[in-house]
Amino acid sequence: MATAPLRSSPAEEVTARIEQLRRQLGALEALGGHTGECGALLALGNPVIDGALGGGLGSSALHEIAAAREAEVAAASGFALALAARMTSGRERAVLLPASGRNVIWIAEDLSLIENGALYGPALDGIGIAPERLITVAVARMRDVLWAMEEALRCRAVGMVVGEMRPGGIDQVATRRLALAAAAGNAIGFILYTAPDDAPSAAVTRWIIGTASSLNAERGDGIGPPRLLARLARNRRGPLGTWIVEWNSVEQRFELATHSEPVAGAAFDRPHRTAVA
Amino acid sequence: MLAVDVAAERLGLAAGLALAQARAMHPTLTAVPEDQEADARLLDAIADACQRYTPLVAVDPPDGILLDIGGCAHLFGGEEKLRDDLLARMTHLGLLARAAIATTIGAASAAARFGDATTTADAGRDGRERLAPLPLAALRLPDEIVAALARLGLKRIGDILDLPRSPLAARFGADLLRQIDRALGHEDEPLTPRLPVPPYVAEKSFHEPIAREEDVLACIVRLAARLETALTARGDGARRLELALFRTDGAVKRIAVGTSRPLRDPQAIRALFVERLAALGDEIDPGFGFDLARLSVLNAETCTDEQIGLGTREDPAGLDRLIDRLSARLGRRRVSRLVARDSHIPELAAAFVPAQAMTRAEFGWDAFRRFHAEAGLRQHPLRLLAKPEPIADVFALVPDGPPARFRWRRALHEVVHAEGPERIEGAWWSEEGGPARDYFHVEDKAGLRFWLFRAGLYRDTTLSPPRWFMHGLYA
Repeated sequence: MATAPLRSSPAEEVTARIEQLRRQLGALEALGGHTGECGALLALGNPVIDGALGGGLGSSALHEIAAAREAEVAAASGFALALAARMTSGRERAVLLPASGRNVIWIAEDLSLIENGALYGPALDGIGIAPERLITVAVARMRDVLWAMEEALRCRAVGMVVGEMRPGGIDQVATRRLALAAAAGNAIGFILYTAPDDAPSAAVTRWIIGTASSLNAERGDGIGPPRLLARLARNRRGPLGTWIVEWNSVEQRFELATHSEPVAGAAFDRPHRTAVA
Repeated sequence: MLAVDVAAERLGLAAGLALAQARAMHPTLTAVPEDQEADARLLDAIADACQRYTPLVAVDPPDGILLDIGGCAHLFGGEEKLRDDLLARMTHLGLLARAAIATTIGAASAAARFGDATTTADAGRDGRERLAPLPLAALRLPDEIVAALARLGLKRIGDILDLPRSPLAARFGADLLRQIDRALGHEDEPLTPRLPVPPYVAEKSFHEPIAREEDVLACIVRLAARLETALTARGDGARRLELALFRTDGAVKRIAVGTSRPLRDPQAIRALFVERLAALGDEIDPGFGFDLARLSVLNAETCTDEQIGLGTREDPAGLDRLIDRLSARLGRRRVSRLVARDSHIPELAAAFVPAQAMTRAEFGWDAFRRFHAEAGLRQHPLRLLAKPEPIADVFALVPDGPPARFRWRRALHEVVHAEGPERIEGAWWSEEGGPARDYFHVEDKAGLRFWLFRAGLYRDTTLSPPRWFMHGLYA
């Protein structure tokens, strides 16, 4: 028939169909709150790690940081604060936040504050985050941590929210709510677990942070800058990996520790991605 | 016996009688030991309930309450209506009360305690006429003076009103004359309200008591809208608000919220109370309902209007609103900012100050940074324990050196690296900080980094070796 459109070849049809399905999937994911895009990216300042993350951490998304052991909560908080320093200092060009939106809210359970100590102002400066930017909230119950996190994430004047709590007792619905709040408020949210947690969650990435020996032959004796064993245990957007990183507080970026003991290579679970590790 | 109830009075008993005597007359008598604190509490609760009539309520111990109803009686349909309403409420609560209205505190107190309570409502009448027939004790005089006057045959107030003043003063002291003058209104007697009078108040009474949270919140919005008008007219904003809910049974529930910047917006005020009510949960027991709600501004501050930028999504008040919400729900002291303090003792160098109490640019970190850079101080630990925790099994290679091994929270740590010591001593003028501390920054085999110190120096402690403490954790 002359009026009927020309039938395309089967291969083209399949491509078009796949394209349509992709769009539908994209729309559905957008509804669910975790799109491929999580707002602007907060890079860690290291090409290797940022490569694995596809450029950086989504800055309107929820992430998880767990201490490898209870004793390593300070290391995990150091990791979170280093990211906060990158965000608030304005060095991170990819995250364009108004000055009033660069506040950091740190919410912690009383129990964790007793066990692991409270944040110490004079040290924050050393990491590179101005103590003026920080507001701390101490709460009695885990439920209140979650409530305060959601409130803070939805606030436009807040750039980063950290909720420190024990693992367990938080379900996927709660993490989903937080992820949606992060997307709505354009803030980056971190759940800081005092021990690793395997529960499913709506977080985009999950980090397990431990300490690493700062032994350094070049530097000789003495303790160097904080050196952390960072394991990317979940990554919705790319491969996983383990790195020994050192925080360079002058240039405010993470550096891979060069003379460290060898680490297990990155596990690539997303073969369609180019992994750089 | 200190007091008797109506039934006992009918039996011929009176206060002042010995209990044994009374028991002898009526063996079935029930006696309750005196509890002054409970009495005071009850009086306070009644005064609280009276707050519904006027903000100027004072307690007149042991058994009286004074209300200044000047300018507010018409709200209740006149002075007599107000008094009847008050007495009806008291009867409802099971209290026996007498009330009188007069132009002075002295006259009112005399009339209520000694006059005929039913005919004392006439405040306009000349004070002399009303006071004259009352006994002298009504003048709130010490018992000795009343007894001394009685010996002279002076029993009623009328007996001394016309006596020459100077002999009276010479014989019985200036107190007597002052009380007469106060009762007659020749001398001013201020009423000291038990609660400070708030600068802005809005209230609403309900014919049908309300009990549901939504109704209370809707009422808050209405009251806040009225406050907004008053606040705007004077260029003020509220820093601290209190909602008083008067329950039908006389109990008063007070809920206060604070703000971190002067506030007028009714919806924002409502949002704060939503959090507060959620935090209180069942503590706000409406009972049979609230029949009066009063919203008062306890602290007001000048509120400068801010211009909101066109086209930007910046909201300078956003953070303050968040702080207010968090503080209202969790408590003011739980939402804090870090402030640098002028001290070199580690635990005193930084403090958590309620974020609501902070205004701009007074955190003190600029001075800290300057000092830190000049003095070239070492890196501080990221987290500081609330209290230094003792560590055990410390083994140091040299007495004054860092530990090579120590046990903290039951785990043994082998030190690989150590830096220090950094000696910190309390100021010479105070005991603050205790003995001198030598701080070490150590790293163990696993890479954990600690900040620990030895309290006391070896040279100072001849008897027992110094003790070691864990104070902070590095990232």
